[in-house]
Amino acid sequence: MNKKRVMSLEEKLPSVPEAIYLFRSCTGTLQYPGVENAIRHICGLMGIEVIMDPDQTCCSGYLLTCSAYLPEFSLAVTARNHALAEKRNLDIYTFCNGCYAYNCEFAHLLEDQKTRDTANQLIGRFGYNYQGRAKVYHVQELYYRLKDRIAEKMVYPLKGLRVAAHYGCHYLLQEGVIDDFDLPTFHEEILQALGATPVYYTERRACCGYGVGKVFTHKEEVVLPHLLNKLSSIRDEGAQLITTVCPGCNVAMDREQPHLSQMGRGEFQIPVIDLGQLIALSLGASPVKLGFNANTIKLDGILEYLGIDKGAQV
Amino acid sequence: MAREKWKYLVKDFDKMVDTYGLAGNLRQCLACGKCVGDCPAASVSPSYNSRQIIQDVLDGNQKRLLASEEIWHCLWCASCYRACPSGIYFPMLMMQIRFRAVEAGFGLKYFQTYQKLALKAMTEGMTFVPREKGRAKVEKLRSEMGLSPWPEVSDKAKSEYNALFEMTGSKAWVDSVANKPEAPVDLNYSKGRINLE
Repeated sequence: MNKKRVMSLEEKLPSVPEAIYLFRSCTGTLQYPGVENAIRHICGLMGIEVIMDPDQTCCSGYLLTCSAYLPEFSLAVTARNHALAEKRNLDIYTFCNGCYAYNCEFAHLLEDQKTRDTANQLIGRFGYNYQGRAKVYHVQELYYRLKDRIAEKMVYPLKGLRVAAHYGCHYLLQEGVIDDFDLPTFHEEILQALGATPVYYTERRACCGYGVGKVFTHKEEVVLPHLLNKLSSIRDEGAQLITTVCPGCNVAMDREQPHLSQMGRGEFQIPVIDLGQLIALSLGASPVKLGFNANTIKLDGILEYLGIDKGAQV
Repeated sequence: MAREKWKYLVKDFDKMVDTYGLAGNLRQCLACGKCVGDCPAASVSPSYNSRQIIQDVLDGNQKRLLASEEIWHCLWCASCYRACPSGIYFPMLMMQIRFRAVEAGFGLKYFQTYQKLALKAMTEGMTFVPREKGRAKVEKLRSEMGLSPWPEVSDKAKSEYNALFEMTGSKAWVDSVANKPEAPVDLNYSKGRINLE
């Protein structure tokens, strides 16, 4: 609290980059691969080149927090991934809150000379050298930066669609983020620019409940009761759609809805998609390309409401 | 509630837990309870209490802390860190408490799940890679939307990832727990709190 946690967007992202090093998220590419296409679609329209590197590996934060990795390993992996981006002179853009938080956090720890030397010694054997030049951003910052240009190019305005935004914990807890942890509003601003109606709900800042492997070990005791509170409050406000910026949160809120429906507080049928997917949809990307088939709760109703043909090809 | 007997308390236990020095100065904990008030895990399991856990670490109440089920309830959302007026990074403390718990043979039934995930991640360079059936599903989904059937992770990435896993001792760490027996837990609860005989 005594450190500078929030900075203005202009301060953090003074100019729109020409190319970005898109950091592959494991959960994102395996569970909701459409997000990749959405980012490519948005960036393509805005003239930003998207580079994904096959040499990049998992950020290795998740299993560290599950205590299955040691910090030394995660730090070395971060140094390696960052060295790859540095070699291309690019900044890292993540589309997962987990990747964002761990990359930031480990880069912060690597500022310590001793830690950095240890990591460099380890990755030096493969010919890498970490210098700490690459900055870490989340693509949502880019969306916010491009908000007005996105609104200009909009093909399908969202017709007042009631959208509940979920920010996810691991973005907002970091230092140097672009909005306040307790009352962030920049997703709502983006949604408004797209013609949607943002929905404010009681449990808006609550965690998705999937943190550190809880779904594997404490699904009944912790995850489901927690999600039940969260999604009930979203449903009570009459939201038609939920947006996330983290594939992990997306899995939690989308995949668990059938289980929540069996818990005696009524039916849950609210589709959950990535904010990028919603932006790309309104920018005219086809639903096939955005991969809505991957979702447990189908988007047919939303596409019908917006007047978009769900089988439309690119 | 009866106070624990002094003989259980371990001196300088906070230093034994926070070996990496990541958690901040625990002695500055004001016991204000803001962390508990903001905690999503505490809202569904009231016996999980981050303020109590910090107190246990400071008191050196090793037995109660490591054996308790509560330490596995943390969601790592870091709301506690954000709320803390003393800048204590509780999630980093929790991570290390779990290292100590696993070393002492507690919570292995949970740890083994993560261990499997870790070993799988080593061959793939990615976490949460599904088995055969799930793999076919991912390939179908990705092909349908015009992406490469499988995320492009190079063999170089995989082999270097694996090598780092061994070099940093992480492999030795997960292997060391592989065949460990689960330590018996002799805690009992009253009114949602743990008693020690």
